[in-house]
Amino acid sequence: MLPAPPGGADTTVDQIRNFCIIAHIDHGKSTLADRLIQRCGGVEEREFRNQILDTMELERERGITIKSNTISLPYTAPDGREYELNLIDTPGHVDFSHEVRRSLMAAEGALLVVDASQGVEAQTVANLYLAVEYGLEILPVINKIDLPSADPERVMEEIDSDLGLDPFAAVPVSAKLGTGIDELLAAIVERLPPPGGDPDAPLQALLFDAQYDPYRGAVLLVRVMDGRLRPGMTVRLMHSEAEHRVEEVGRLRLKRVPADELVAGEVGYLIAGIKSLAGLAIGDTLTAADRPAAVPVPGYREAKPVVFSSIFPMATDDYEELTKALEKLKLNDAALIYEKDSSAALGFGFRCGFLGLLHLDVVQERLEREYGLSLILTAPSVRYRVALEDGREIEVDNPSYYPDPAAIRQVHEPYIRASLWMPERYLGPVMELCRERRGTQPTFQYVAAGRIEMTSELPLAEVLFDFYDRLKSLTQGYGSFDYELIDYRPADLVKVDILVNGEKVDALSQLVHREFARPRALRYCERLAKTIPRQQFKIAVQGAIGGQIIARTTIAPFRKDVTAKCYGGDISRKRKLLEKQREGKKRMKIVGAVEIPQEAFVAVLRADEEEA
Amino acid sequence: MRLARDEGSFADAAFDTVYLGGGTPSLAPPEELGRLLAGARTLLGARPDAWITLEANPEQVTTAACAAWRDLGIAAVSLGVQSFDEADLAFLGRGHSPEQGADAARTALAAGFPWVSLDLIYGLPGQSEEAWQRNLETAAALAPHHLSCYQLTIHDGTPFGFRAARGELAEMPEPAQARLFSLTRKSLSRLGFPAYEVSNFARAPELRSRHNRKYWDHTPYLGIGLGAHSFAWDARGARRWWNERKIRPWTAKVAAAQRPLAGEETLDIAALRLEALLLGLRTAEGIDLDRFRERYGLDLAAANEALLARLTAEDLAERAGSRLRLTPRGLAVADGLAARFTVA
Repeated sequence: MLPAPPGGADTTVDQIRNFCIIAHIDHGKSTLADRLIQRCGGVEEREFRNQILDTMELERERGITIKSNTISLPYTAPDGREYELNLIDTPGHVDFSHEVRRSLMAAEGALLVVDASQGVEAQTVANLYLAVEYGLEILPVINKIDLPSADPERVMEEIDSDLGLDPFAAVPVSAKLGTGIDELLAAIVERLPPPGGDPDAPLQALLFDAQYDPYRGAVLLVRVMDGRLRPGMTVRLMHSEAEHRVEEVGRLRLKRVPADELVAGEVGYLIAGIKSLAGLAIGDTLTAADRPAAVPVPGYREAKPVVFSSIFPMATDDYEELTKALEKLKLNDAALIYEKDSSAALGFGFRCGFLGLLHLDVVQERLEREYGLSLILTAPSVRYRVALEDGREIEVDNPSYYPDPAAIRQVHEPYIRASLWMPERYLGPVMELCRERRGTQPTFQYVAAGRIEMTSELPLAEVLFDFYDRLKSLTQGYGSFDYELIDYRPADLVKVDILVNGEKVDALSQLVHREFARPRALRYCERLAKTIPRQQFKIAVQGAIGGQIIARTTIAPFRKDVTAKCYGGDISRKRKLLEKQREGKKRMKIVGAVEIPQEAFVAVLRADEEEA
Repeated sequence: MRLARDEGSFADAAFDTVYLGGGTPSLAPPEELGRLLAGARTLLGARPDAWITLEANPEQVTTAACAAWRDLGIAAVSLGVQSFDEADLAFLGRGHSPEQGADAARTALAAGFPWVSLDLIYGLPGQSEEAWQRNLETAAALAPHHLSCYQLTIHDGTPFGFRAARGELAEMPEPAQARLFSLTRKSLSRLGFPAYEVSNFARAPELRSRHNRKYWDHTPYLGIGLGAHSFAWDARGARRWWNERKIRPWTAKVAAAQRPLAGEETLDIAALRLEALLLGLRTAEGIDLDRFRERYGLDLAAANEALLARLTAEDLAERAGSRLRLTPRGLAVADGLAARFTVA
């Protein structure tokens, strides 16, 4: 059992610290979090492991993934004072930067973890900027000091030069061995500020995360900025304007621990009979329906999908399964949006919107791993703004709905500002990559000796297609990349169709910048020609813009495929061979009387490996 | 035979063809063949006027043997000539010479059999179009009634397959196979033997094999001996069964007064349709769509409209009245085409 929570009537805001941990992937964020939990929980390692595993297993059984590790830790300082340390989890990727921002809003301080051997990475820098933007107090932590390759001195130098932080303030730790954890806890209460807020002002609570509980529905994680949150009151979500009656509030230990109230400065959860996460917007503000706050917590932005792709089941029969899986996924991934889609070539599926490419990957992986589905995803697309000749303006993210070019006055596409970090020696190739992808306005800056930050303004669409893989490959893994959407700019866009024996394969249509149309079409054609098995007649695979053919390959036919002898009564054997052959065809799609195996779609739509 | 007769499906049968083949029945003395045929008539109910075919190797085809076979009521002989090329025969491991093959054909024809067919094999590794053309001309010049020309395919697990796996021989490349296939049809047609099936050619429609046709259109047949297959319609639908292929289990079962069955299967309507399709597509006459619908309950053309449109456009298939048939180009890829039809 954990000690009794120090929160509640005896706790004042001075005894609360709200902080998050920001780190590059693999720099040991979760190990550090686990270590802090363990130290504050005062439990044995074995017991701790058991508890964690039990919770996770239970959650797995219920079909939830552990997304958030937000947790309240009771901590007794060496001087005997008791504190409540709220560790607020932040998602670790640029796609979720909006959610990261919300998490940062809920905290006053941040532990910035830097790997003692790898040093400062792109993501560390990006997250630091965010944290600084939100006025958080930063506490640098140098982790993995136990590694033989650890070089804390160089890392301290980087903390100074790359991050502009006081390197001597950094706390060296080994989360793995538990070294330096006590010092770190002491530093948290000493150096991170307590929250502000007025407990008697109207309620203003920031919804910074949400979890899904199959028995209780949505569990809202909130930071109370002002006022008090109590069971029984009716809360209003200020942006979505929904109202709910609060059933339960409490603190997040390893388990949820109900409380009488949450007051200004506190972090905790709220359950209000909300059935799914679907209608919830992270960043929304809760207030009391009968005594509302004047304004919501600032900085709210709707999480808007920027990348779109259609998901089809490999086997048409799996459509129902896919439908169910998406419904379940949506319960705890509020950012995922989808609607029905259908393709002549691939059957029924869903058009999905994602926060970014990583979000797309995560959803695909979860669908495949957790739900055992085999999927085909169409080429990711951005959302274009299309001004029509008749004065209307529409948004198009699906090539199927792209209007007739004659009706289009102007197309605008989303642009990003990409920040790329790399050792200096890779600058040439990376500049070339950006140039290839229609990058403009490059800037360069030395962030440390031999290490360069380059920024470039690029069409988001050009980054969707294997950009990250190319970057990693060109820089031998040393390059990293982050981006933010900046604006919409005019685009010379065409819709490229792929035709098999003169018939359009709708799932392969895509919107492409005119100058890339021909190479892209040719690549699709060549891949199809490689993966569509020979048939009994010649197959033409063409790329076309409207009626104009811009690329072409052909697949030679079988010329001889017939058994010489078919008698002696043993027809069964021949028939069985045929049945086997036909079984293999069940997974094929027919376009223009050509049998296209699913693998062909996968091969064509897969990110480009040969070029990477 | 007694055991085979116990097979209920053929209790009242009156067989109108008898085929002595598989292995080399011409090796058996005429008396032996006589006992066999007598048994077929008395025990199985083969009709006295049944059309009897004998497979024979050239070595055994003498004037005396032919006379004896004629006396037994044998009407048709199918001669395993294989080739008129010395090197081909050596490659195939045949015991006869090109001359023996030709002599056998002449002897059988002279003996007055109303039907003499020659079996030829082509597409041997490295075979030239000219060499095969000469073979066809030699065969045609002998003026048999019928020719069967089988293109060699090398299957894994066969003696040729093992040799191919060891790199001792290589299957002819597909384009060359296709050229020989086409050459065979064209040459034989010009020489007076139009094709009526993938591998079968007859001087006239009435000279097409009477017996093989039955395998192709689900006529019941009863097979006796090692590895023989049988087919019959019964109350449940259709059934095919087959005998043990090895001598030991076969004799053991027969000695124990059991039918020497190795396996059997019931053919559902889908299986029957598929067989009718694959076999029908192989014939020059093609599939009679009306008959197909009556017999197998499926409008094949309606179920495959888009496919047929494409195949017609690609000159792989054609419709002639109620018939659907493959063009020569289509016939060359009949297996692949059969796999594409919907039969549900």
